[in-house]
Amino acid sequence: MQKTRFPAVISTFIVCYIFWLLLTWPFGADGVAVQELVAGGVVSLAVALFSARFFIHEKSFWLFNPAKFFSLIAYAFGTFFSELIKANCDMAKRCYGGCKDVNPGIVKIPVDVESEYGQAMLANSITLTPGTITMDIAEEEGKTYYYVHWIDVKSTGEEAGEAIKGKLERGVRRVFR
Amino acid sequence: MIELLIFGILFALLGFIVLIRVAKGPTAADRMVAGDSADTLLCCAMVLFALFSGRGIYLDISLIGAMLGIVDTMLVGRYLEGRKEL
Amino acid sequence: MILRIIIDVLMVIGLYFALAGTKGVLKMPDAFCRMQASTCISTLGMLCVMIGALLYAIFVMHSASTAVKVALVGVFIMVTNPIGSHAIAKGAYKAGIRPEKEMTVDEYGRDLNE
Repeated sequence: MQKTRFPAVISTFIVCYIFWLLLTWPFGADGVAVQELVAGGVVSLAVALFSARFFIHEKSFWLFNPAKFFSLIAYAFGTFFSELIKANCDMAKRCYGGCKDVNPGIVKIPVDVESEYGQAMLANSITLTPGTITMDIAEEEGKTYYYVHWIDVKSTGEEAGEAIKGKLERGVRRVFR
Repeated sequence: MIELLIFGILFALLGFIVLIRVAKGPTAADRMVAGDSADTLLCCAMVLFALFSGRGIYLDISLIGAMLGIVDTMLVGRYLEGRKEL
Repeated sequence: MILRIIIDVLMVIGLYFALAGTKGVLKMPDAFCRMQASTCISTLGMLCVMIGALLYAIFVMHSASTAVKVALVGVFIMVTNPIGSHAIAKGAYKAGIRPEKEMTVDEYGRDLNE
């Protein structure tokens, strides 16, 4: 566990405060706006002091870089969304077709993303597309591998990796290297 | 718009149908997955009903349900895995 | 009028995927496949409903706070669902839950036993 760093606290504070502003959106219709803003600031600072060391491990101000932020938005609404719709249609076809057309198995695929956030984001994207669930992450000799439960196993190794996460990995690498 | 109410009732009905798996499921993982699905479906139903009736309180309840739905799933998962800490 | 049709179509699409997920949860042969089917409910089934609700809140109710809260519900479910799914899948495998029919490929079990 690493120590609390000052830039990490600032960055966590900004994220918490934005969420507070969103939750109390129409600020004080009858003159309580200052109280709400101050209370939110105090609570966000307390939360940030306690949780910054769990939340931020690498570069703190990454998300406040506009180019990276817009590539994140483009990934979420473009690449990831089209993959999501394709996988959902496939899964719905299987479900309505009597649930007999399954061939489950667990495959091990190599991943080429270095940063911690990138690995977490790729794993969550794979889990969020119906048909694949990431079960574990293993590191062997400097390379990273995912164990993925796949509902329709067609191949193993590199080929399976390309089929499961080819486009998603390219999108994530544009955001997190 | 009356459709909001109809779709809300249909989603709530789906949420109750999923509970059959909670009663029947042979293992703990089956019960947990079905419970999680019921949570999501009832969140949808509650959002639709909040929009139909125009009261904000149902929206707040469904927000809290969406936020806390993760906690029980994580707890059961970690327990099944056999870890001491969360 | 056209807005009403758009919202209804979105809701019907959401209901279609939610029904698919429900059928999968009830009928799939083993625990891991049931997890895969339940992902269908909490991605596109939920997302279409939330987009329809967002359109309704913006263009019919004219209420900014309602719109922001509906969007937050959708974002929270999308962000938290994969974490729980991953935890349950790993925990179920480690607790010894296996499908009745043997899996085609099981590289995780092979590496765990080494």
